[in-house]
Amino acid sequence: MTDLLREIFQTLKCNKLRTSLTGLAVAWGIFMLITLVGMTKGVINSFEKQTASQGSNTINVWPGVTSEPWHGYREGRDVELRTGDMEKLRQTDRQKISDVSSSVYGGGTISTAHEYTSSGYEGVYPSEQRRRGFKMAAGRFINDIDMNQKRKVMVLGEQMVPILFPDKTPAEVIGEKVDCQGLGWTVVGVYESRWSRSVYIPFSTARMLAGNSDKIGSIVVEMTGVETESQGTDLENDIRATLAAAHDFRPTDQSAVWTWNRFTQFLKMQSGMGILNTAMWIIGIFTLLSGIVGVSNIMFVSVRERTHEIGIRRAIGARPRSILTQVIMESVAITSLFGYIGILMGIGLTELLARIFDGSDFITDPRVDISLALEVTAVLIIAGALAGLFPAINALKVKPVEALRDE
Amino acid sequence: MITLKDINKTYPGAAPLHVLKDISLNIGRGELVSIMGASGSGKSTLLNILGILDGYDSGEYWLDGKLIKNLSENRAADLRNRMIGFVFQSFNLISYKDAADNVALPLFYQGVGRRKRRALAMEQLEKLGLADRAHHLPGELSGGQKQRVAIARSLITRPSIILADEPTGALDSRTSKEVMQIFRDLNSQQGMTIAIVTHDPGVGEQTNRIIRISDGRIV
Repeated sequence: MTDLLREIFQTLKCNKLRTSLTGLAVAWGIFMLITLVGMTKGVINSFEKQTASQGSNTINVWPGVTSEPWHGYREGRDVELRTGDMEKLRQTDRQKISDVSSSVYGGGTISTAHEYTSSGYEGVYPSEQRRRGFKMAAGRFINDIDMNQKRKVMVLGEQMVPILFPDKTPAEVIGEKVDCQGLGWTVVGVYESRWSRSVYIPFSTARMLAGNSDKIGSIVVEMTGVETESQGTDLENDIRATLAAAHDFRPTDQSAVWTWNRFTQFLKMQSGMGILNTAMWIIGIFTLLSGIVGVSNIMFVSVRERTHEIGIRRAIGARPRSILTQVIMESVAITSLFGYIGILMGIGLTELLARIFDGSDFITDPRVDISLALEVTAVLIIAGALAGLFPAINALKVKPVEALRDE
Repeated sequence: MITLKDINKTYPGAAPLHVLKDISLNIGRGELVSIMGASGSGKSTLLNILGILDGYDSGEYWLDGKLIKNLSENRAADLRNRMIGFVFQSFNLISYKDAADNVALPLFYQGVGRRKRRALAMEQLEKLGLADRAHHLPGELSGGQKQRVAIARSLITRPSIILADEPTGALDSRTSKEVMQIFRDLNSQQGMTIAIVTHDPGVGEQTNRIIRISDGRIV
């Protein structure tokens, strides 16, 4: 085996420039493959991280305007969602609807003795924390007792702490008082977020501030046990039907209520990501293929060039098989050697990109793992063998009598 | 050593060419013979058959007690490797291998280890007075030296017979004499059986027997 390798490297060394130019195409192909697959992996990672943090099992519903006449009403009527709708939705499908909640926004300044911000607030259910994927930097989120007792408690984003309490850490803020809407509030929690400045209060308290109106701006339905796109769409239609019955609009009237089904969205994105991944593999493989074809081509040239030499080897006793093995191994040697250079360059680039995009939302950890390197190695060896196969078969056609022919 | 009985060979084609016609000949062990003939006489075809490089249509070819007929490519390769030493007109050394590696190449195909191959090759080169040229590439050697390397290569497997195809064809008169002297010495001192194909009467004269071939027949 080492003898065969020595033999192969001896012949490859004879044509250093040609070998390296041919190998360059292979290295480039592998480099592209690794980079494309790595980048795709980074994009998919980001996507998965985002959906994991935001939840992909919700349907958001907003009120709209009817576009069709129905039950004696004219089109163009505003639909108003009410708190009673939430209970109706809960009853719609007890199996698949695990939670119904809502939120209301309110404007106004939030102030301490010295500082203030005009961010407004959002009245939410305790389940909001799960949907937003908030981790607490300190304290707790809104809870059921806050809801029931309509407490005047407030949860701030990390970003708000330096604004309202310039020299306090999130932990020190817990229990502090702030003013909003002329009332005194207690800060009970600070959530981690690099960008969100939302201020949360209990939904029930927020409704009270709005004069106990039962009008709500949106409803969030959380679903469970929904696995296919059609199940997701069915549930969405059921929700529409329930609301249509409650508000007297045609169930098929798309503009009467607006819905955003994150689950079907998620499935579409997921299949989109799958297609992206496949597409990148295909592009990568084809780039590699052009390199492989180059190797095959150069092996043909090499066999043709060495017809006389192969004849000599045959005359002095080389079996056809050893000629076949030598040509194929030469091809495998070129592809794997330069392929590995390509792998190293590709890994280097993805490593660099991982550093550059560290903390970015678009590309998360584009590094390729060891299993990909192994897959690519297998691809290289198979590709190299295939590239060498046809030139090798050509080499077999060389008869030992060639040795006697004068050049 | 070599016995041919009624060998016939025809190259097929639109006008089939009957190149060897009922060739029968004997070359005994330890003989130094030359096969002479004009170009187109069929002597190259005869050499191909003797060297197991090519087959024949009818007749029998016995080499060292073995019938050489209808062999598989692998078997033919093995027999060439072990029983026949080739010396060619244009030396046929591999240009990117040094002299010792060229000499050792037949042993590579026998699966002999590199260390042992190199040692045997050095020994053989030494016998031919080329020990100091062992690490030179063929391009760095003179014609006579190249042919001596080729002879060393033909001897390394201890073959039954050496077949030389115009071994002096590419050499000047002085080195031709040297090369012929090597063949004569191999024959007289080691009893090596040698058949030289040539059209040069000067070469033929130095062999013990001349087999003349003309128009596909031995005359």
